[in-house]
Amino acid sequence: MEFIHFAFYFGLLLFLILVINKGYKIATSPVHLRWELYPVAHEKGKAKYGGSYLEDFEWWVKPRERDLLNEIWTMFQEIVFLKGVWEHNRPLWFGSFPFHYALYLYIVTTLLAWVGLIFDWSSSLNPALQSNLFDSLLNVLLWIASILGIVGAIILLLKRIFDENLRLYSNPSHYFNILLIGSLYVTSFIWLTSSDNAIGEFLGFYRGVFTFSSVGNLPVIGYIHFYLLSFFLFYLPFTHMTHFFTKYFTYHKVRWDDEPNFPDSKIRKKLLEQLNFPVQWSAPHIAADGRKTWLVIASSPLPTKEDNNG
Amino acid sequence: MAEKRKIKITDISNPNLNPLVEIKPTDTIELPPPYDKLENLPGFKKISESTRQVVDDSLDGVVAVGVPKPKSKEEEQQLVEKFISGLIKLFSKENNWTFLQPLILTMEHCAKCQTCAEACPIFEASGYEEIYRPTYRAEILRRLYFKYVKPGSPLLKKFQVGDIELNWTLISRLIELSYRCTICRRCAQACPIGIDNGLITHELRKLFSQELGIAAKELHEKGTVQQLLVGSSTGMTPEVVKDNVAFIDEDLSERLGIKVETKWDVYGADYLLIHNAGEFLSWPENPAAFAILLDAAGIKWTLSSDLVGYDGVNYGVWYDDFQLARVAQKHFEIAKKLGVKAIIMGECGHESKSMGIIAERIFGNEIKTINAMTFIEQIVFSGKIKFDPSRNYFPVTLHDPCNTVRLMGIVEPQRRVLRYLAPKFREMEPHGVENYCCGGGSGFAVMTPYNFLDWRMHISGRKKFKQILDAFKDEPPGPEVPKYVCAPCSNCKGQIRDILDYYGAKEKSGIYYGGLVELVVNAMVDLKEPFIDFSLM
Repeated sequence: MEFIHFAFYFGLLLFLILVINKGYKIATSPVHLRWELYPVAHEKGKAKYGGSYLEDFEWWVKPRERDLLNEIWTMFQEIVFLKGVWEHNRPLWFGSFPFHYALYLYIVTTLLAWVGLIFDWSSSLNPALQSNLFDSLLNVLLWIASILGIVGAIILLLKRIFDENLRLYSNPSHYFNILLIGSLYVTSFIWLTSSDNAIGEFLGFYRGVFTFSSVGNLPVIGYIHFYLLSFFLFYLPFTHMTHFFTKYFTYHKVRWDDEPNFPDSKIRKKLLEQLNFPVQWSAPHIAADGRKTWLVIASSPLPTKEDNNG
Repeated sequence: MAEKRKIKITDISNPNLNPLVEIKPTDTIELPPPYDKLENLPGFKKISESTRQVVDDSLDGVVAVGVPKPKSKEEEQQLVEKFISGLIKLFSKENNWTFLQPLILTMEHCAKCQTCAEACPIFEASGYEEIYRPTYRAEILRRLYFKYVKPGSPLLKKFQVGDIELNWTLISRLIELSYRCTICRRCAQACPIGIDNGLITHELRKLFSQELGIAAKELHEKGTVQQLLVGSSTGMTPEVVKDNVAFIDEDLSERLGIKVETKWDVYGADYLLIHNAGEFLSWPENPAAFAILLDAAGIKWTLSSDLVGYDGVNYGVWYDDFQLARVAQKHFEIAKKLGVKAIIMGECGHESKSMGIIAERIFGNEIKTINAMTFIEQIVFSGKIKFDPSRNYFPVTLHDPCNTVRLMGIVEPQRRVLRYLAPKFREMEPHGVENYCCGGGSGFAVMTPYNFLDWRMHISGRKKFKQILDAFKDEPPGPEVPKYVCAPCSNCKGQIRDILDYYGAKEKSGIYYGGLVELVVNAMVDLKEPFIDFSLM
């Protein structure tokens, strides 16, 4: 095994651990107060104009109808087409869309490569195979991903540099992130243009790391590419780019959380626990002492000056 | 986008106490004639030198809260220490379980793509003043969160989000800045990631109130505190409110020739109606119209004269979770005591949101709540009352209160009523969940300290005023045709009243405003006299 093996294992393992840990922390954070924002995609028949079940007289005696298909369709449009950016920030979309789409294609290429390795689909690795369709497909996907990614990264970088509205709010990490992801596309592009068997080498790397054996005849540019990828995997969970999965929470658990607090519901159970959290806020009208619970304070009359002094 | 001097995020800590920006009416969005001549418009008051000696106006020369200037270095240091202590509590689950999850999601995942910026009516109306950009205040809190709360290497954190110097001028400016956003959450609606910069305003106000004891006087001292102690944020005690309502009933009965009778404390009534108490003082025809409509529909209803029970206001929703819970709990207790089937929340957006969904999450929904829009629609289409829509044959447009529409999804009931009963109804653009805030949201409508009213009129309310004017552009522009802005929310009505007064829109353009229920009652066949009398408005 070579150093690249360990770099990749380290990057992938930390990525998985940190992402799962972050996801778990967010998922198990306290139930928050309702703060939804309409349209809520699962409101059956009402989502198209932003309506809610609260429009119905005595809504609580009616069965709640959820439109999960619309919820999925809304998220699909948002993730695949970046609909929100298209509608609210068109100039940015022309950079953001190819940049994100390239990532999707790169991920699809990688996952397909893994599946192909399991089922032995690659003619590059198994010359006995009659068809090279699988390798060709990966080749096309990686080419498109590389070109789109480079175009997207350049547009985003230029916008961050020259658009004052973005520049004022950009930190070194923003430029670094674009350059890092952009360098993945640049290296894959150079690799594709400089090697006749880039896909075979690409697959050979994954066969090597997943079987703890040689990564084959990986060219220097391939090594650079996978070192960059390993670093990116390790680095990603520390950045705001974890929005790739936390978006699930911002939409489904905040923006679209319209769940009523019925007796015996899960929400009720959690809330009863949270209402008993001890509070420490210092303002006199709260009159917290670190022992009194949230509910006790919220149920108490306003403290007088004497209460606060005493 | 217009060119402006770009204020940097770090400028918020600038120890120089001259305002970071100067707000000029010339930079705001243009209005159609006759409101396009700046020389004909009221000016923008400057903060006097004597006031500046004691109160900090170093954000934008406008004062909403009036943070006193520290008198010594020790006081400055105390303020900073308290702030850090509050910041840590804001991100702890025990102290802030109420909004911790959305807050952290917003802190850690913003891509700073500025997609939200154009959605903000305040940012736009100010001529894109940097300090009003939705991400500006969020970015300050984000840097402070990374610096003082989030664990990790300081170097990495600087690389990720940048640095900021925390001093008393930052805190003082940030307090004011948390009162330059109406929490309409249009920015959040536009964010593709789901980041909520409106929530940042809310959480900042909470930090200042719950830890430092600093909040806008109108919301805290004269708001929730007065409501909990005296009974209403208006200052009306139970005795006074009953006297006032008796007078309203008598006056309307005389004018309309029918009996208007408000019910008080009827045990076993089906519905407890809770108005925003501001209605009794400023728009008494609104509670009177409810009384007429509910009686005509044969509904068993009551008001409550218990402390807090006659005022649906809950300013806590904008700045303090505990004050919110204290007020809401009173409302629920009173409903329980009266044994009603449900609370009808009057035409008040923040009452509806705080009671209907936020307090519901805290205390459960054993006490049911119904929004006035839904309730009015139910009555109008119940077939119990005869209507003549031709009585409303004047131009009507609808303002969508953010709290009931974008934040609760109650969009169509009021429209179905207006399409039926107001033949000349037309929409504003944009409308529904994409509406613009009236400019008085998050409590601004009741706030007029120092020169804050000027700011509300020129900046936060400007976009709405333009929308109103545009909605009536196909009508004769002068006052000869009365035009009605239906604003089914007390807070929005307060702001729209102030805008129309400020710009003289009643005299110049014949623009009037009121609620939804007034239009419904005006169309009732049983009424001999018109309920809406423009000459009295």
